[in-house]
Amino acid sequence: MRFNIDDLPVLFPYPRIYPGQLGMQRLKCDPDANLSSQNNMRIYMCDLKKTLDEGGHCVLEMPSGTGKTVSLLSLIVAYQQYYPEHRKLIYCSRTMSEIEKALAELKALMKYREEQLGHKEDFRGLGLTSRKNLCLHPSVKREKSGAVVDARCRSLTAGFVKEKKERGEDVPVCIYHDNLDLLEPHNLVPNGVWTLDGIMRYGEEHKQCPYFTSRRMMSFCNVIIYSYHYLLDPKIAERVSKELSNDCIVVFDEAHNIDNVCIESLSTDITEDSLRKATRGAQNLENKILEMRDSDADKLKNEYAKLVEGLRDADEAREEDAFMSNPALPDDLLKEAVPGNIRRAEHFVAFLKRFVEYLKTRMKVRQVISETPPSFLAHLKEYTFIEKKPLRFCAERLTSLVRTLELTNIEDYQPLQEVATFATLVATYEKGFLLILEPYESDTAEVPNPVLHFTCLDAAIAIKPVFDRFSSVIITSGTISPLEMYPKMLGFETVVQESYSMTLARRSFLPMIVTRGSDQVAISSGFQVRNEPSVVRNYGNLLTEFSKLTPDGMVVFFPSYLYMESIISMWQGMGILDEVWKYKLILVETPDAQETSLALETYRTACCNGRGAILLCVARGKVSEGIDFDHQYGRTVLCIGVPFQYTESRILKARLEFLRETYRIRENDFLSFDAMRHAAQCLGRVLRGKDDYGIMVLADRRFLKKRSQLPKWINQALLDSEINLSTDMAVGSAKKFLRGMAQPFKASDQEGISTWSIADLERFKEKQEDETIRALTEAQRNGADTGDVQMENTRNGNEAAVARDDEYGFNDDELEAGMMELDNK
Amino acid sequence: MYRNAPKSVSDPSSNPLDDICPVCKSNRYLNPSLQFLINPECYHKMCSTCVDRIFTSGPSSCPVPHCGRTLRKKGFRKAFFTDLHVEREVDIRKRVSEVFNRRQDEFETLLDWNNYLEEVESLVFDLVEGSAAEKTRAEERLREYRDAYREEIEGNKRVGKEEVEGERRRERAEKEGARARRLAMAREVEEEKADVEKGKRDLLERLANSDGNANAITRQAQKVILKKSSARRNITEEVLASNGSANSGLTIRGLKKKVAPVEEKPYDPFGGVNITPARFTVQESYDNEWLGNAKKDTRHMAGGYSLQEYYARTMFEAFSGLGVFIEEEVADRGQKGDPSIGTAAAAEASGGKINIGHKMEIDDVF
Ligand code: SF4
Ligand SMILES: [Zn+2]
Ligand SMILES: [Zn+2]
Repeated sequence: MRFNIDDLPVLFPYPRIYPGQLGMQRLKCDPDANLSSQNNMRIYMCDLKKTLDEGGHCVLEMPSGTGKTVSLLSLIVAYQQYYPEHRKLIYCSRTMSEIEKALAELKALMKYREEQLGHKEDFRGLGLTSRKNLCLHPSVKREKSGAVVDARCRSLTAGFVKEKKERGEDVPVCIYHDNLDLLEPHNLVPNGVWTLDGIMRYGEEHKQCPYFTSRRMMSFCNVIIYSYHYLLDPKIAERVSKELSNDCIVVFDEAHNIDNVCIESLSTDITEDSLRKATRGAQNLENKILEMRDSDADKLKNEYAKLVEGLRDADEAREEDAFMSNPALPDDLLKEAVPGNIRRAEHFVAFLKRFVEYLKTRMKVRQVISETPPSFLAHLKEYTFIEKKPLRFCAERLTSLVRTLELTNIEDYQPLQEVATFATLVATYEKGFLLILEPYESDTAEVPNPVLHFTCLDAAIAIKPVFDRFSSVIITSGTISPLEMYPKMLGFETVVQESYSMTLARRSFLPMIVTRGSDQVAISSGFQVRNEPSVVRNYGNLLTEFSKLTPDGMVVFFPSYLYMESIISMWQGMGILDEVWKYKLILVETPDAQETSLALETYRTACCNGRGAILLCVARGKVSEGIDFDHQYGRTVLCIGVPFQYTESRILKARLEFLRETYRIRENDFLSFDAMRHAAQCLGRVLRGKDDYGIMVLADRRFLKKRSQLPKWINQALLDSEINLSTDMAVGSAKKFLRGMAQPFKASDQEGISTWSIADLERFKEKQEDETIRALTEAQRNGADTGDVQMENTRNGNEAAVARDDEYGFNDDELEAGMMELDNK
Repeated sequence: MYRNAPKSVSDPSSNPLDDICPVCKSNRYLNPSLQFLINPECYHKMCSTCVDRIFTSGPSSCPVPHCGRTLRKKGFRKAFFTDLHVEREVDIRKRVSEVFNRRQDEFETLLDWNNYLEEVESLVFDLVEGSAAEKTRAEERLREYRDAYREEIEGNKRVGKEEVEGERRRERAEKEGARARRLAMAREVEEEKADVEKGKRDLLERLANSDGNANAITRQAQKVILKKSSARRNITEEVLASNGSANSGLTIRGLKKKVAPVEEKPYDPFGGVNITPARFTVQESYDNEWLGNAKKDTRHMAGGYSLQEYYARTMFEAFSGLGVFIEEEVADRGQKGDPSIGTAAAAEASGGKINIGHKMEIDDVF
């Protein structure tokens, strides 16, 4: 289907469009429009275009499974092709499977465009993922750890290896890599969209490395699809994304966790084990230096001379085979010559050793220490005479040394690299970072297992270069509410900030908040009551009831592994599991990835056969983030308890304090926001498309108050009559809902309501234009702007929720106290 | 008591040899309170019992085979590092750094400074692992340098100490501030809770005593509470903001430190602030008819009255206040908190020294 947004012709690869995708102006000031706000039409594509036109950043929320990716791609590709600037698109997603999905969508879109336009456009789209996923080298690709694959690949492809080879020495190389040098550097693959699978096949056929093909073609692409890290993690971004121009359009999809990715990219952990290995690495380096001094002293002298001059090869940092790149952000690098006291190779190794020994001594302390980088540096200086500046150059100096020594078994130096990363970071950043030494794994542990966390507290630091550099950054996800939290935490301004609702011809999902069991006892995973037998039994009954009525698959989320374990063992004692067992197979997620994937596989098999299964998993585990339970794989999702973070974690405490002091985000606000975004993620797992349907149960008394923090599309579908249910009431509603779903539903029923053909679109556009004119005059008159209206709405919503709470005569503390008393009797 | 024993053994970092006294072969496994000491004369390790036993009656030779150096009990101390080579190296560094304590700002160029650093580093290296000849040469240099630059060394030492002191003070102030703000916050949350409580009680009372519409009363009461809490929030936010900007003056780092005061300079009552007027220069004399007489009038001059003073004061008054822009200063009191304050506060919070007083909606995993 083909239509125009303003003057921009957009080709959409499906014959129908959901109103939400086109996204229409909110019909304000019109009483009728407010009535029809059931199919509340919003601006997605229009908003996107606005963002691109104006140049600025935006946060958009749109339910997943409604073609978010395809609308995004079709608009941006249209934009690219129509306007002469041909702005490049950088599309970042989280997992490899999401990257692959997006590439497939892009491929379909380009095919459609070709059919419609009648000619093939000059277009190249590529995806990039780690070497581990793309490697073709017969022995390297079999390594299990990504870091080892990287290291081994570097040993085969480093610049000096090639030099040695040319000198006629017998060194192992990778033929896949060397073949690339025979091709034209700007034309390693033909035009077109290459999925990861596709490029692997092409690589195998032409004996060329898919990883390096993609990487080197990055600057000759129209669309790049890769993971967040390539843009956010300075260790990778410096190498991969440096050449991208500033007018690129950057999209972060599934970005509800982006703050954590930012934080992780600047944090490191040091353990005793890594220190021991680092000492060994330093020892090896020392031996190598001695060897080289005997055999090839010139190389060391050359390096030394270069360092004295402060010369740095302009492209050294970008070199694709460099041992490691600087872990600090480009803006924070000191651009001067390496300090004199670490210029000589042997001086530097002694320096490293001293630093490692110091860390070892610090690790011996058996109490928790939390200190700021300046105080760490002061102590370090006092005891080892290590100054801040050479420390800051640690990563760079180590890279240079490794290159000079022409080391081949790079993977042995990994721990040393970690220490150097830590050194550079701690000496570079003093604000927004913290060192926390935890000698024991938990409060009850007796055997020490010390970890030194260098943790970033401020998500804005890592993402700042991205916002500064690129003119349009789009942050989008299915669940990214409340929207205003993200600009606050990440420190940027938005042009557009919108949440879109879903318009459906029938109610295809049923969200409910269950607050009490059939016996009217309130249920909650709150600390005081979570182990009360009455609460556990009520949760158990809820599970039993829903396992009876749910067809096929059912997914249950718990706030944490510990709680899940304890509640499962209690259920076992109460005979609840035996009851559930009659209706469904029970499978459990564990922290072990392999076990979990086995459980998942069994679950899927069971869902396709017979009575289906129940998967018990954790709201912050792997399952809740990346795995879809579409159609029969998930008909009910049950969220037991509000998935709050473990607040006794010192790192979290530090971050909360930092957020409060720096961004004025209150502890409770953040914790509740974080819990709700995870809850929403869990709920979103079951609804992956327009023809999908499912039941979403939030089972905790405390969800009542947090309702307004749910994404708009869920909140809107949550009827007032279904927010304070007891188990039996919920069962009733669910049965009714499922009966409704069982009725035949023709695709044509959707038409005009939740999908639009061209004619509908035209009609709407006319109306919209009238509206715009009216709205404009209106706006001139009273100067009201959208933001105010929105604020007003949420405020009203909050008040309403609170008021409602009281109508039911709920009072947390009283209730809790009452419950305690009951049990004491 | 018993807890300690298995801990140190299962401690993965401990090499079993590290736990045995080389002199009396006592084992830390059997005697968890065993402590090892070293003497910087020879860096041989032995347990405190051995030290007491051998050296209490006066200096004696080191019991480690082939050492034989004379040691005194006074010289023994606990080692900071497990690796005694590093311990020795650091001791040597300490000695060197007391002499070679130049600062970067004393050098013309970065290259000079770096060359100096390398030279010192090489000297340390000679002392640590050089041959006997190298060692003596290095010691010689050290002595020469100390004698040659005694004064400068002293001066730099003083500056260094001041720097460390300043840093400490700043850190303490930051910590103090963070703690104060935390307390204020906790208090506020308490108050808010009390208010809500009170509101609820009022509501119940009113519901009991009046026969108006129950819903209306409830709603009204809610509104009152909301209003109160938002007002309170505004106040604390102001407090926080003001605290933030007041403290940020302390966090300036990397300022070029002033050189230690040189004796010859006279005392400067303005603490280095330049008070020569920037916008005008006072002339020798001004042609002004009504001052013409005063210039010549001996009655004025006799008392020591100086026209220059008069000129200077008049000009100062005329120009004072120019170049002060209040808007800019107000705008500078930024909205956002200073991240360094947040960092200090975070250190406080995660250190486990303060527990969070108010009950949050905490969910712990159990
Ligand atoms: S160059 Fe490519 S194929 Fe060869 S080892 Fe590296 S990643 Fe594997
Ligand atoms: Zn002994
Ligand atoms: Zn000795």
